[in-house]
Amino acid sequence: MIKTTNLQKIFTTEEVETTALNGIDLEVKDGEFVAIMGPSGCGKSTLLNILGLLDNPSDGSYDFHGTEVAKLSERQRAQLRKGNIGFVFQSFNLIDELTVYENVELPLLYLKVPANERKEMVETVLTRMNIMHRRNHFPQQLSGGQQQRTAIARAVVAKPKLILADEPTGNLDSANGEEVMKLLSQLNDEGTSIIMVTHSPYDAGFAHRIVNLFDGKVVTEKMRV
Amino acid sequence: MFSNYFKIALRNLQKNKAFSAINILGLALGMACSLIIMLWVQDEVAMDSFHENGPRLYRVMENQFYSGKIETYASTPGILAENIVKDIPEIEKASQMLWEEEPLFTVGNNFDKEKGRYVQGDFLNMFSFKLDKGDARTALKRPDGVVISKKLADKYFPNQDALGKTIRIDSKDDMMVTGILAEIPKNSSLKFDFLMSYDRWHKTNGWAKEWGNNGPRCYVMLVKGASLEKVNAKIKKYIKTKNKDSNVELFLQSYQESYLYSNWDSGRQNGGRIDYVRIFAIVAIIILAIACINFMNLATARSVKRAKEVGVRKVIGAMKSVLIGQFIGEAILITFMSLVIALLIVFLLLPTFNMLTEKELSLNFTEGSFWLFLVVLTLLTGFVAGSYPALFMSSLNPVVVLKGALKFKPSATYFRKGLVVFQFALSIILIVGMIIVHRQINFLQTKNIGFDRENLLYMPLEGDLQKNFASFKQALQNQPGIKLVTSSQANPLEVGSSTQGVSWPGKDTTQLLLFANNSISYDYIQTMGIQLIEGRDFGPQFGTDTTNYIINEATARKMGYKDPVGKEMTMWGRKGTIVGLMKDFHHNTLHVPIEPLILRLQPKDDYWGVVVIRTEAGKIPTAIASTEKIFKQFNPHFPFKYFFADQELAKQYKSENVVSNLSNYFAFLAIFISCLGLFGLAAFTAEQRTKEIGVRKVLGASVGNLVQMLSLDFLKLVLIATLIAFPIAWYFLKDWLQKYAYRIDLEWWYFLIAAVSALVIALVTVSFQAIKAALMNPVKSLKSE
Repeated sequence: MIKTTNLQKIFTTEEVETTALNGIDLEVKDGEFVAIMGPSGCGKSTLLNILGLLDNPSDGSYDFHGTEVAKLSERQRAQLRKGNIGFVFQSFNLIDELTVYENVELPLLYLKVPANERKEMVETVLTRMNIMHRRNHFPQQLSGGQQQRTAIARAVVAKPKLILADEPTGNLDSANGEEVMKLLSQLNDEGTSIIMVTHSPYDAGFAHRIVNLFDGKVVTEKMRV
Repeated sequence: MFSNYFKIALRNLQKNKAFSAINILGLALGMACSLIIMLWVQDEVAMDSFHENGPRLYRVMENQFYSGKIETYASTPGILAENIVKDIPEIEKASQMLWEEEPLFTVGNNFDKEKGRYVQGDFLNMFSFKLDKGDARTALKRPDGVVISKKLADKYFPNQDALGKTIRIDSKDDMMVTGILAEIPKNSSLKFDFLMSYDRWHKTNGWAKEWGNNGPRCYVMLVKGASLEKVNAKIKKYIKTKNKDSNVELFLQSYQESYLYSNWDSGRQNGGRIDYVRIFAIVAIIILAIACINFMNLATARSVKRAKEVGVRKVIGAMKSVLIGQFIGEAILITFMSLVIALLIVFLLLPTFNMLTEKELSLNFTEGSFWLFLVVLTLLTGFVAGSYPALFMSSLNPVVVLKGALKFKPSATYFRKGLVVFQFALSIILIVGMIIVHRQINFLQTKNIGFDRENLLYMPLEGDLQKNFASFKQALQNQPGIKLVTSSQANPLEVGSSTQGVSWPGKDTTQLLLFANNSISYDYIQTMGIQLIEGRDFGPQFGTDTTNYIINEATARKMGYKDPVGKEMTMWGRKGTIVGLMKDFHHNTLHVPIEPLILRLQPKDDYWGVVVIRTEAGKIPTAIASTEKIFKQFNPHFPFKYFFADQELAKQYKSENVVSNLSNYFAFLAIFISCLGLFGLAAFTAEQRTKEIGVRKVLGASVGNLVQMLSLDFLKLVLIATLIAFPIAWYFLKDWLQKYAYRIDLEWWYFLIAAVSALVIALVTVSFQAIKAALMNPVKSLKSE
């Protein structure tokens, strides 16, 4: 599903050049659950942004579902992102002015899903995430776990092939974190590929494979036994 | 999707109530202002547009050539209409029209003076003034016919049919009511309560039958399809065919245009009210622009709070174009809310505005064009105001904003600072304008005009007073409160009559010169308080004064006399001597320079014009009571009416006064809206620099240091705005002042006041935010980073 070859990302400011990614070769197959680990500043988030088509690499190739996407314009990337990739963030990133229901509905609006179908899809996913009873609440009125479940609901409502999660449990207590990881595992079991950046070895334990980054390079890859 | 946008827009407005209020209010004020001005402009432009024959109606204008200059007048010979319609086949109809007259109307015991016009038979067949009763085609054709307004019909013939009834005019002639006028449309520049036969007036005014004398106006209607150029070519030398000594040229000016385009300079059209229409239209655009800039700044400032939303929407798959649409849509929504408030503001302000401008403007919701204007105004304002924030926000990088690290590029900052500079430059221009217009009006109203305008009254010299003026004067002068009494044919504040018929020994006869002239009676110089440099006033003790003249300095200069008293001169063929030299005084408005003026003694038993009365200082009520008593004795069949010279002089600058008042409002509005924007920008900057402020505080910066640091940046912007505004304001105001023959100098301190007030207002606005930011707990501001 995803294959990168010699992926480079260099950030340049007026005086400094920082190499964030230095020749990443990575392949993720359909239905795989990959955890990316590594110390702060090793390039995990940069890699995730590129894999999520939020950013372009400086060099190298990136094959997404058989399409070369390394040099796409912002517009083309947005088009491809829509409906194909779901994002889960450490800080949830829900829109404060929208209710739980409206936040989850948002990706479907951009996909122009008809209203009745949309309602059914949102309600299904809200029920599944066990936050249906909170559908008319605003994010500030929810607990962290509920907020993250809403974020996951929003990420999966359009049934994307790939979910990218950036430290999804980072802002949660262990009980809520556990619940979120179980949800992700379930989604993975149903066929959704997941790439997750994490600091937590425990969370990484849910993945099929762990990729360790250091200074912008893949240092080890190990399969879960 | 639309409902999603709508919801989020409304919730954002609710969440940031103060910001929203500032934003909506700023736009509403700007829109209200441009709406009011639009109503005014529309009204001005639509003036006189209701005449069905409008495009074929023209006013005959006359260019007169004098040594070194061309004067353009609407007054023409009083026999022009009847002749030109016969001689020029392209002219289908023509009518003379007089200036507004105020004859006495008497029906039984009911009498009053009424304002109206003397016109000729075809007048009602040319202009679309409708009759409720009577036949417009014939109503004015009989010489004893009078057409009156419904108001007069009700006044003189209550509960009766006025048609066919008789009215006695000026206690002499009985006229028959041949028509009742329908209400005159609001957008008619011509207003009158009666129309009467010009020929009746003509009979007693023989001078108006000469080709060499001008006075009445002449209006013509061309045949359908006639070419204006051809007619103009034909009538150019028309007067010369009648009077071979004449050198004047005629041309036609469209009647509909004559209201807005009434000024002429050297024979060329030189604006008129259209100048104010243009100035106000520009002011409307400026204020709307300031309000839009305001919106841009506030919306961009708030973008920090919306950055996460933009990031999320982008991650989910929103295209940039979709986001631009969303934010412009939001701007239009806010503009729409502002429009509702703006309409309310306009509704509340219109009565005051109407009083100020003497209009009857109203919000015309029944008219399609008004709605169309509202829609266009809303869309355009929303689009302009929303464009920059929309472009800015839709370009935010989701990776960056979702990390919470929104930083602004210098280019974006410069752009916004540029907007503030632009806004303030416009405001400062309006403030300078306000100060200078105000000073000029004040100057016009207080300038020493060469005679004493205080304690001076005048009243029409009419009815029995004309026969008995001498005894009336005698009786009046013995009354308490009255100092002196005299008479003048012309209104002493505006001597309109002028002549070329002046000669003196040694005059260069190739030169054509124009002299203002006025016929007065004894004691004029003293009553008016005019300064006599040399010689004497007319007096009964000098028997031959009827052929003597008193002149002003301008006349002496024109004649080339250094020492004019005792010299000979001839006016209208009557040779006489100059017996007095007056210091130049203003016998017309200060729009025009002091022209040469010649006074002659009114022939005995031919008194008409006005009675001029000098009262004792502080005894005006007594003087008026005495005058009324004596007036009633001498002139029982006329209503007692009088005018104060100082008040009438002030009225000469009515349009300037209106402009002065309006410019106050507009300048205030502009600076107020600009400050709203500055307030927003200051808030935004303080927010952007939260961390810096925290670090500085931890390192020991005082609140004072921080306020200074935050405020200085903005003051720099206002200073730059000042530098841009000054030359522009200077250029335009110098141009405006050129219109006045007497004007103030552009003093540097007018500009200084404008700059300092803008600076102070800006400082107060900014320091509010700066102090707030500086007082913030550094622990909090550093943690929030």
